[in-house]
Amino acid sequence: MALSGLDIYKQLPKTNCKECGFATCLAFAMALAQKKVSLDKCPHVTAAARLLLESASQPPMKLVTIGTGGSKIEIGNETVMYRHEQKFFHPAAIGFLAEDTLSDDELAKKVAEIDKLKFERVGQQIGVDLICVKASSGNKDRFAAVVKKVVSQSGLNIALFADAASTGEALKVCKEKRPLIICDEPSSIDDFIKLSKDNSLPLAVSAKSLDEAAQLTDRAKNAGVGEIVINLECRSIAKRIQDFTFARRSALRKNFRPLGYPVIAFTDSDDPDLELAEAISYVVKYAGIVIVKNTDKDYIFPLLVARQDIYQDPQKPVQVEPKIYEIGKVSKSSPVLVTTNFSITYFTVAGEVEASKIPSYLIACDAEGMSVLTAWAAEKFTAEKIADTLKTGGIADIVAHRKVVIPGYVSVLSGKLEEVSGWKVSVGPKEASGITNFLRSLK
Amino acid sequence: MQEFNVTFKPQGRSVRVARGSDILSAAIKCGILLNAACGGEGLCGKCRVVIEKGKFKADSSRFISEAEREKGAALACQTIIESDIEVLIPKESIGLHENLSHDAEEFTKGETLKQEAIYKFSPLVRKVYLELPKPTADDNLSDLDRIVRDLETKIEHIRIQAKLTSVTHLGDVLRESDFKVTASLAYIDGALEILAIEPGDTSKNNFGLAFDIGTTTVAGQLVDLNTKDILGTRIAFNKQSAFGSDVITRIIYASEPGGLAQLCGAVLDNINEMIDDLTCEHKVGLGDISCITFAGNMTMMHLLLKIDPSNIRKAPYVPTTTSFSSMHASEVGVDINPKGMAAFLPGVSTYVGGDIVAGVLACGLAQQDDMTLLADIGTNGEIVLGNKEWMIGAAASAGPAFEGSGLSHGMKAVKGAAQKVDIDEALNVKVGTIGGAKPKGICGSGYIDLLCRMLKRKVIGKDGKIRRDIKSNRVRKGETTYEFVVAFASETDIGRDIVITEDDIENLKRSKGAIYSAIITLLNKVEKDIGEVRKIYIAGGFGNYLNIENSVYIGLFPDIDRSVYQFIGNSSLAGARMSLESHEAFLRAHEICKNITYIDLSSEPNYMDEYVASLFFPHTDIGRFPSIR
Repeated sequence: MALSGLDIYKQLPKTNCKECGFATCLAFAMALAQKKVSLDKCPHVTAAARLLLESASQPPMKLVTIGTGGSKIEIGNETVMYRHEQKFFHPAAIGFLAEDTLSDDELAKKVAEIDKLKFERVGQQIGVDLICVKASSGNKDRFAAVVKKVVSQSGLNIALFADAASTGEALKVCKEKRPLIICDEPSSIDDFIKLSKDNSLPLAVSAKSLDEAAQLTDRAKNAGVGEIVINLECRSIAKRIQDFTFARRSALRKNFRPLGYPVIAFTDSDDPDLELAEAISYVVKYAGIVIVKNTDKDYIFPLLVARQDIYQDPQKPVQVEPKIYEIGKVSKSSPVLVTTNFSITYFTVAGEVEASKIPSYLIACDAEGMSVLTAWAAEKFTAEKIADTLKTGGIADIVAHRKVVIPGYVSVLSGKLEEVSGWKVSVGPKEASGITNFLRSLK
Repeated sequence: MQEFNVTFKPQGRSVRVARGSDILSAAIKCGILLNAACGGEGLCGKCRVVIEKGKFKADSSRFISEAEREKGAALACQTIIESDIEVLIPKESIGLHENLSHDAEEFTKGETLKQEAIYKFSPLVRKVYLELPKPTADDNLSDLDRIVRDLETKIEHIRIQAKLTSVTHLGDVLRESDFKVTASLAYIDGALEILAIEPGDTSKNNFGLAFDIGTTTVAGQLVDLNTKDILGTRIAFNKQSAFGSDVITRIIYASEPGGLAQLCGAVLDNINEMIDDLTCEHKVGLGDISCITFAGNMTMMHLLLKIDPSNIRKAPYVPTTTSFSSMHASEVGVDINPKGMAAFLPGVSTYVGGDIVAGVLACGLAQQDDMTLLADIGTNGEIVLGNKEWMIGAAASAGPAFEGSGLSHGMKAVKGAAQKVDIDEALNVKVGTIGGAKPKGICGSGYIDLLCRMLKRKVIGKDGKIRRDIKSNRVRKGETTYEFVVAFASETDIGRDIVITEDDIENLKRSKGAIYSAIITLLNKVEKDIGEVRKIYIAGGFGNYLNIENSVYIGLFPDIDRSVYQFIGNSSLAGARMSLESHEAFLRAHEICKNITYIDLSSEPNYMDEYVASLFFPHTDIGRFPSIR
């Protein structure tokens, strides 16, 4: 059972010595409870207390690293069930299945397609992470040859899904890439444990049930394998999502260590639409790695977008693009209103302007996504900033007048804004509900 | 330069001002402080005056209708004087200069007095009368050592020290007084420091002052440091309000040339006026006041001590300092004995200041075995949860609604404020004001009663919207939203209807939501349930009345056994007074300060969810308010 901040605090020296970097022992204890800091930071904790706190200071879910250098991927180490509780830390890796039964041409074509799956969205680069080579030919030399081709053609990370002998053969050509090796058969677990330990590689165990998975991870862990991934071979998609959820909950809420590892999911569906839905479901519900078959960019892009959204920090305000928005049939004489680019602020104001039926220009100033008063208090929504937007944002070329409306809550900016911008400033209402009346009174 | 004569009524004061002056500055010049929440920018509409005679120039304002304008109504800050002029100031435009006195009892009842008794009476500055043996050939100790030797026989276990500047004329003082002198001793950093040596026995005349410096209100008390009697209390509006009603506006003002000095001067004016008033009334000499203690929020302390506050408003919100070492009164600029000591309650962080530390001291939270909660309801609602083992504190930006600011007819809890409101089934409204006069506006406790009654009579729904289908002349469409008439013009002291609008309700809803959700977030932080809290102290500027039942009904406080709640008034002032009266209490305040862990609500992921969920009367989750159906 995870300890609360107060439970941990009771074990600490309570001297508030600040050597850990926190203002008080309680602040440190709370950070420890949230796994945001390690117990080592406290130089004065007693040995007895350390033993007690050991479980609380360890992450409930292991971090697993696949690959090396700049292109390595990290999965697991999640701390919450729901994104809004804090955030999800390590985006699920998206990978593709490549079977060794493909011809050399087919393989080259597939890898080339996969390598092109890079996109930019809201200023961020998003792309795919790995290729999972699966042994279906029954020939370990063929498997190793295919792995070699993939490695030489693509910079993506590698997962090997084969019997122990084939895996051992393939590792000769790819172990420097620190691939994930997937144990295909519970009976050969010990061979895989050896491969994992000899080459210090992350190991995925395949199991038919959570019970079996827990036994296998325990066995691997006791044998000295550090980084483990769980591959659940379930009979249905629904069962898989249920089990993923159960595993995450046991790890986080009950501190059940044998299930405290990231999971890998392979899609079942052959229909591309269904496969996309299935893959997104896994991304949302707790998969650390999702392996798909389809490489069509029209299907991969939405999958990557879903991943980007769910792994976004929900505490960071959602912003609208800072620019001039036209509401209604605007003309040269339409009023100009300014507000901040916090999405809730913008949409509230825009809604009321629309309801007023008076065509207007609404400028969302870049205030780093803060609401009006917050931005003003933090010096992000100042007279200078608004003046700059008026001058350089293009509105001066669009309208014939030089009159601007600012939110009522920042009425104090009006004098300064007139001074620095040369525009005539009128102060709008404090609450958006007053916009209709206000715009009508402007004449 | 051409000058004009400006006469203000009903004060009957007049002043000469240069051409081009505005009425607001003319009023300030002759000592009349008008309401000017926006700092004289023409934006708050609170400094409305009526020009009865004379020429003036004024821009049109959305606060003044054309009809009113024709009758001479104008905003003082936006009106330029162009001839000799006579100006009538309506009552509601004044507020800042009113010196309000309250009976000391109102602030010191109950719990805080009980806590006060815990600490040994040992004032921060004490006076000791000494009859010293004269020096002889055998006993030729220096003058200072002679004093220290005698003091050490009277006061044990503490080092006694003196600054050379305090003893430069010691030789004369001792010989002229025949070695019969009174030493003023101050507790500073674990030692007793000799502040001054006076001839003769003045030990009976030792007085001190305790001050709470709030953003909107300044309160001060005069205490006899021999008898522990509270001689008098004064409350005044913080004169800094003329430069803006909230701390952010003032921090911005402080960064302008001369701004910091002006803000400091304004609050010093407050303090010195109150000292003057208190000492005159109680016939206490300024020289006999040996000590003054201050509790205030971090911004107020920075401004009082002329410390640059500019980083307080910028992320990550770091003040220059959270503790302020004791200094001579003359260094602060307060009019007491210049060698007297000024001491300051330390704070925890930018948003948990010395005022809340003083509050924790006053309610005794830090000595409790059981989990206890203190909520100080001000512009920033400050909350501390804990017991003698641990404490966590947070500040919720509740906004000034419960202090009566930012609402159509909001006002401070002073004379003329509606503080009790009842509505019967026929929607007749009964209003009880402070001082019993006709209402000028509504204060925080009045708004709580009003909201509760409007909910009970179903004038508003749980979302805070006024029901459109009510047939009553009290419900009507106002300028922007629907509004409810609390008192018709004929029943008021301002000649206009007093109303509450849907925007006001929205504002109050956010304030109460911020406080409630901060309380719940702190409890969640330590994984405790509200039911485990054994005592809840409510402090704040509600005057001397707060209906807990109604506060729970609107969802301001959690729905638990009402006997857990206790309203303790101005706990910041009580803590400052306790520190004045006992150096042990002052030391305890420093300990408390070290032991409070500050929780930044804005980085608590669940605070926003809690907050949004509480934007309903009483809450979106009615299961949390089982006593309200």
